[in-house]
Amino acid sequence: MEEKKKLICFKCNKELVPKKTDFSYLGHTFFTEIPKCPQCGLVYLSEEIVKGRISEVEMQLEDK
Amino acid sequence: MAFLHELVRDCLQDEKAFCTVKCPFNLDVRDFIGKLQQGRYNAAYKTYQNTVGFPGIVSVLCPEPCRDVCALKEKGGSVSMRLLEAASMNFARNREPDQYNMPPKSARIAVIGAGPAGMACALRLTTRKYKVTLFEKSGLIGGHLNDLPDADILIDDIRLQFKYETLDLRLNSRVTDISVPGFDAIYVATGMHGDTFGLSLTTEGHYSTDRNGVFMGGSVTGADVMQAIAQGLNAASVIEGFLKTGRMDHFEPPATETKLTYSAIKIIPSGAIRPESGKEYSREEARAEANRCLKCTCDACVRYSPLLSYFRKFPKKITEEVEVSINPSSLDGEATLATRLISTCNYCGLCREVCPKEIDTGEFLLRSHYTMREKGKMPWAFHEFFLRDMEFSTGEASLLLQPSEQGEVKYLFFPGCQIGASDPRLVIRSYDFLLKNYPSTALLLGCCGAPADWAGNAPAHKEVLNKIRSAWNDLGNPTIVFACATCNLMFRKHLPEMKGIFIYDLIARSDAIPAIPSIHGNKTASVFDPCAARYEDGLQETIRSIATGAGFRLEPLPMEGRLAECCSYGGQVSVAHPPYAEYTVKKVISRNTNPYITYCSNCRDTFARAGKETMHILDVVFGLEQRPQPTVSERRENRLRLKAVLLKEYGNDNFNMEMKESKLTMSSGLREKLDTSMILESDILTLIETCEQSGNKILDPENGSFIGHLQIGNMTFWAEYRVVDDGRYELINCYSHRMKIEE
Repeated sequence: MEEKKKLICFKCNKELVPKKTDFSYLGHTFFTEIPKCPQCGLVYLSEEIVKGRISEVEMQLEDK
Repeated sequence: MAFLHELVRDCLQDEKAFCTVKCPFNLDVRDFIGKLQQGRYNAAYKTYQNTVGFPGIVSVLCPEPCRDVCALKEKGGSVSMRLLEAASMNFARNREPDQYNMPPKSARIAVIGAGPAGMACALRLTTRKYKVTLFEKSGLIGGHLNDLPDADILIDDIRLQFKYETLDLRLNSRVTDISVPGFDAIYVATGMHGDTFGLSLTTEGHYSTDRNGVFMGGSVTGADVMQAIAQGLNAASVIEGFLKTGRMDHFEPPATETKLTYSAIKIIPSGAIRPESGKEYSREEARAEANRCLKCTCDACVRYSPLLSYFRKFPKKITEEVEVSINPSSLDGEATLATRLISTCNYCGLCREVCPKEIDTGEFLLRSHYTMREKGKMPWAFHEFFLRDMEFSTGEASLLLQPSEQGEVKYLFFPGCQIGASDPRLVIRSYDFLLKNYPSTALLLGCCGAPADWAGNAPAHKEVLNKIRSAWNDLGNPTIVFACATCNLMFRKHLPEMKGIFIYDLIARSDAIPAIPSIHGNKTASVFDPCAARYEDGLQETIRSIATGAGFRLEPLPMEGRLAECCSYGGQVSVAHPPYAEYTVKKVISRNTNPYITYCSNCRDTFARAGKETMHILDVVFGLEQRPQPTVSERRENRLRLKAVLLKEYGNDNFNMEMKESKLTMSSGLREKLDTSMILESDILTLIETCEQSGNKILDPENGSFIGHLQIGNMTFWAEYRVVDDGRYELINCYSHRMKIEE
């Protein structure tokens, strides 16, 4: 479960909100919702999601 | 790829066992024994029954030619196949033949003679539902079996096997002319001195005569009883082939030869099991005897090679998987199933060394790696860390030192990138030694290009080789002095014009080095030969003489010299396949409990990391105490420190390189995490400084820390940190991913 942590974009002083974000790896692109600054678009990826779902997808694409 | 087909063509994996080709029936002994080993007597019996036709006759009368070729013949005694065959019958739940519910076939076959060959042919044909008429001149079936002791038992087995088949048996029917109309094929098996009807065998097909549709075999052609039964069974297949195709040679004859060699088999001697009853095995005895069988197959590669044993795949399977990855057959042409397999090879060369056919699966995988990279199908993440490291070694950390003496440069010391990374003192003291004894020695800090080669990266590899070649030419082509077996191997392969020697030979032959400190007073150790030194017999001896001279008592490792194993570092598999790297290192450090002495710094550091006491031979030579393995960040710092010290000591300029004090603080646990995650502290500092400059950072209001990320190369790094003061940072957490955020 993604933690519901309150995070602030330092530059824009805005709270990060879940927003559709594009990712790419090895020629494949896809998107998911992750916390993002509504003004400048700065994103946040928690270690939990990096070690979990992202790592899983990376492995799958490497073995595809 | 022609190489791929050569590889598969030579592989002995599918070669039949020695006993199988000696058996008139070509019994698949590995399969039969395998079932017995599992206690599956019924299944074993079925295999046996289907192969020999009359198990009750063959298990009694077979003279066991297999015993002559058994790998255990001189190693405790050949496996007692006949007793095991009998055991499969005795302990099978059901000895009845199978009932096949198939529609009858219209073809009619005449078999002449009800001896072993004729009965066997008739059995196989009737099982396949052909209409068979069997003519026998006497009033008995079984031919000369009736003259043997216990004939009733043998004849009963014939009756049992025909239990569910329809046979038009005509006893007391002498055939005088084979031009009997109404038959599509005829098999003549009239027994020893029997009537041949003026027919003669042709050389075109097995059992075929000079008359179309007429076949002949068994004792009438000189076969003994076992051969007669086997020929009868085979003749049924020849006849079936004739009926289907009209050709009399439509038949794959049983194998009589194998390319398998005894040297390819791991022979474990064991004493033959004798039946306590004197005649037959008990269940336990049968199982014990079956367990002795080595099920001879050529599997040296799978037994020895870490890659092939880990995946349990023979070269044939590997080539198939690699082939479909290089030339994908998926609809989108994108499937690259074997990328991880290709990237898991350590390129240690052990598979080729143990293969009786010298099949070099490793070289095949390396070539495939190059092909996949050229096609852009190899994930960059498998090699980026190491390629960046190579860039560092050949860039920021590289150094060329000319000897202070004027004149010809005789030697060029090329310690490689990893020894200095492990501990700068090893290179500094080695160079000191060289200059004292061979003053016209230059030094080149760099990299041999192995990381680029292992990554299949031809352009990067070429660039590194060109750098080395250019420095060597500028110095007037001196002899290279190696300290690393991998560098030596890479030079031999890619820079063969540069002749080299090992520093260890110079150390061993030098009387100017009283320095080998015998602080190890009779300590027992084992020399771990690096895989790159597999064919360096002289070097292996030198290392042992240095270690012995330093006071070590050496015990051999089961895998050393030509059988040297990879420590797990080769091929950079730790990123592409971490569980495999762990499996490999665990296996090799458990070969014995002695401390290891090695002469590859990657082996040394890999083992030290895994908790195995290991010394580099230069640690021994220079009397260095046990030292912890450096982290990935320290490996870089060590190289910079090495360069600074060498420049200060031997450089012509007044060089003074200040080592920067670290601006990052972190807990020891986090430092370890960075190390195991292969994250460089310098990258994290760059990340933080970039975030601080741009202000692109996230505030966690709960604890006042910042979170930032930065893509360096292809990798994206994340850091959670606090600003301490004056450009110093406390790192709280750090992680990385390969996926790119499309911001």
